[in-house]
Amino acid sequence: MRSTLLRAAALVFFAGATSVAAQEGESPQYEPWEQELYEAAQEEGQIVWYVSQTTSEFADQVCNLFQQTYPGVECSAVRATGSVTFQRVMQEVQAQAVQGDVYSSNDTTDFLLLSEGDALLEYLPQRIDNMLPNLREAGRDGLWFTSNVSPYGIVYNTGLVAEEEAPQTWTDLLDPKWKGQVGIAHPGFSGSMGMYAIAMRDKYGWEYFEKLEENDPYIGRSIADGFNLVVSGERKVAVAPVTLGLAATASGDPVQTVFPEDGLMLPPSGTGILADAPHPNAAKLFEEFLLSEAYADLLIENLRYPLIQGVELPEGMPPLDDVELLTVDPESAATEVVEIQDQFRATFGI
Amino acid sequence: MSTITSTPVGARAAASAGRVSLLQRFQPSSLVLLFFVAILFVLIVAPMSMLVIKSFTHPETGGFTLQNYLAAYGTPHHVRALLNTLYMAVCVVALSLILAVPLAWACTRTDMPGRTFVRVGVFGAFLIPPYLGGVGWILLAGPNAGWLNQIWTWLTGDVEPIVNIFSFEGLVLVMAINLYFTIFVLVSAAFEMLNSEMEDAANILGAGPIRTALKVTFPLVLPSILGSALLTFLVSMALYGVPALISIPARFPVVVIQLSEFFTFPLRIEVAAAYSIPLLMITAGLLYLQKRILSRKGYASVTGKGGERRLVKLGRWRWVMFGYSFFVVSISVVMPLFVLLMAAFSVSWVRGLTWGNLTLQNFQYVLFEHTTSQKALISSVGLGATAATVAIVLALAIAYIMQRRLVPFSGVLGFLCMSPFVIPGIVLAIAFYAVYALPPVSLYGTYLILALAFTTRFLPIAYTTGSAGVSAIHYEMEDAVRILGGGRLIAIRKVVAPLLKRTLAAGWLLIFVPAAQELSTAIFLIGPHTRVVSVVLLDMSQEGQMEQLAALGSMLLLLVTAVVLIGLRLLGRDFMMRRS
Repeated sequence: MRSTLLRAAALVFFAGATSVAAQEGESPQYEPWEQELYEAAQEEGQIVWYVSQTTSEFADQVCNLFQQTYPGVECSAVRATGSVTFQRVMQEVQAQAVQGDVYSSNDTTDFLLLSEGDALLEYLPQRIDNMLPNLREAGRDGLWFTSNVSPYGIVYNTGLVAEEEAPQTWTDLLDPKWKGQVGIAHPGFSGSMGMYAIAMRDKYGWEYFEKLEENDPYIGRSIADGFNLVVSGERKVAVAPVTLGLAATASGDPVQTVFPEDGLMLPPSGTGILADAPHPNAAKLFEEFLLSEAYADLLIENLRYPLIQGVELPEGMPPLDDVELLTVDPESAATEVVEIQDQFRATFGI
Repeated sequence: MSTITSTPVGARAAASAGRVSLLQRFQPSSLVLLFFVAILFVLIVAPMSMLVIKSFTHPETGGFTLQNYLAAYGTPHHVRALLNTLYMAVCVVALSLILAVPLAWACTRTDMPGRTFVRVGVFGAFLIPPYLGGVGWILLAGPNAGWLNQIWTWLTGDVEPIVNIFSFEGLVLVMAINLYFTIFVLVSAAFEMLNSEMEDAANILGAGPIRTALKVTFPLVLPSILGSALLTFLVSMALYGVPALISIPARFPVVVIQLSEFFTFPLRIEVAAAYSIPLLMITAGLLYLQKRILSRKGYASVTGKGGERRLVKLGRWRWVMFGYSFFVVSISVVMPLFVLLMAAFSVSWVRGLTWGNLTLQNFQYVLFEHTTSQKALISSVGLGATAATVAIVLALAIAYIMQRRLVPFSGVLGFLCMSPFVIPGIVLAIAFYAVYALPPVSLYGTYLILALAFTTRFLPIAYTTGSAGVSAIHYEMEDAVRILGGGRLIAIRKVVAPLLKRTLAAGWLLIFVPAAQELSTAIFLIGPHTRVVSVVLLDMSQEGQMEQLAALGSMLLLLVTAVVLIGLRLLGRDFMMRRS
């Protein structure tokens, strides 16, 4: 009896030890093409990531994980709202002094504009086939690929709003009971808010925003601003990425997330490498990293939707297959987004 | 020849000699002039002329056009932003005067208790950059969760907010509490120049202290009140940080926000240039007006230092005055600073002071996990110190040349040094971007372009300090050196520099503080490797991560304050508070 226990204990111990060893031994195991890319990237030494599609906190986490995975390649995340980030990228392209390497946006019209000016580097990631089939298509031309699945829903503060009172549809936000209590963003700053505005206009007409205006919403620059106002209780409800809502609930913040019955809004997101990127190999390595299992784990940990196949969704994360998704066609959005910004300014006076 | 021409006498003689040929008139001193003209050309003339040229340039063809002006002012929305800005600036000035003038009077002319406390408090308002003051007030007066509103609800049970920072009034308040410092300093200086004789006369004729102040004292300092009010008007029109935080949610479009929107896609530098020209003209016009007002002597400076200056005895009004001063210092420094620090140490700023809410995680994040903020702290302090040093050295050299008339036409140099005063920071950034960021110069993303722009921005402060310092030193002492066989450089090193040490250090601090916190000039000039804290904070503010923002903001404040305290230690702490 005693010996069995001992043996079991020993087994557990050794199993643990070997699995630790396996883990330790695993991390430097790069695939041959990856090793080659990594060595080239090490010579470049760093990568600058212009990003608007995540919060800065998450962007920094991504960078830190990248640095752990590929020691010797320093990663700097420069996070701002979509149009501010795009402005910086365009400024660099115009000044012929590109300093950023990788650009990630929640408004893929940016990539159409960049590719028109030959400002994108063509690179089809080796790991593109790992991607979920429905995400893979956008990246076939090798200029950019879908890099973020972050649908927008409604987040409310549970300390201020009872569950049965919470809005269930986008049109519920027009109810006068939310006067002075809704948080949104400005499409002139937030790229994804521009996409949201197009999607809402297509579904409900511009009257949707005229009515929303009567409810005197808080207009932030980033969509994350409205979300943080709900967390702090400054506003009761906000249009926000559901992933932020889910993660906040999990970490104990007083918020709940609603998947609106009239459809989650999925902003078309993308990541591409700038043509004159000073660190092209590091940039390619970073793109590969975004399609790696390590990155998928980080996404899952933060209750964000993975990009690659074979990743199980954790509890509390509803699969997106069963819900209606509102999307915007990037081709037509490219011509409409400036117009929609002006319309927004006219309606909201800012 | 060189022995003659290198003296001021020689220079003057040569300048007045019109008959000699061009070649003969060329002297080493002209080289000095050329050198400084070249520097000022790079810093000021080139960017500003480029701005004007761009505003008339067709973006595609490069030919002459008025189309940019049409695009800039053909839209009612854009015109409204300009009118809004003027209206806002008027209100900011009015409120700043209400805040600053009574305090300046009380601190300089009365026996109000706690005068040192009030001076230190007002100095604190100078140390806190406007955008941090703004964040502090968002935490205090957010309509639903702001501290003041929470306290109000707790006291009365009323859930309607009593203060809403996201409003026009909120915008004006935050601007004023961040800008009244200038009026306080300039008006205090004027009060200290007055003597008490006329006040005594009023007292003898039966006027009480308040009446005397209103009827006699204030009219005497009116020129400096008007002058500093105009200055505040200009600064508030050009301020970027506060509108970026407040005017969008308040739905009150202003010029600086509109200018930054021209810089989003599609990038319209030409339209931005056209849009900023009227702003430039308004500024130049007002500065001219200010000069006219201040040059109308006959008030303060004539009665000057001759008479005796006594403090007005306020009697029972002492404590009323102190109460008001305390209120002003509270809303401008104590309250915003307190909530900011509290947020920096909080898990969530709304939860208040509890053990469970206490954390160091925000500092851990901004110092070690955020991938650009650590470097940004170093960049900000480094750039602030560089800009302050370069501006002071340059301004001092030019002031010295002007005062000693070492070269002909030196007046031009002085004028150029002061001219950046009329350029709002964001316009300066656009101009610098147009000339130096783009090819062929291609300085985009370098520290050099930031250092150049910051130096330009603060050159007027440096020049004012420098010329005041130089004019206080009589040339006899330098002449003594020259007679004893020393050259001008020895005279400068052994006589002028030691005498100017204090002035220089004070001027350096006056530039370092705003330069290390500069936002509006930086926004279009930073690259990913040259980010400064102000820009990182602005990016953070978009997301509303107030706790992390507060942590990084307090780190900046801590570094700037540390430098200032070291400086004050070397200088004696009264350097800005009182005229010596």
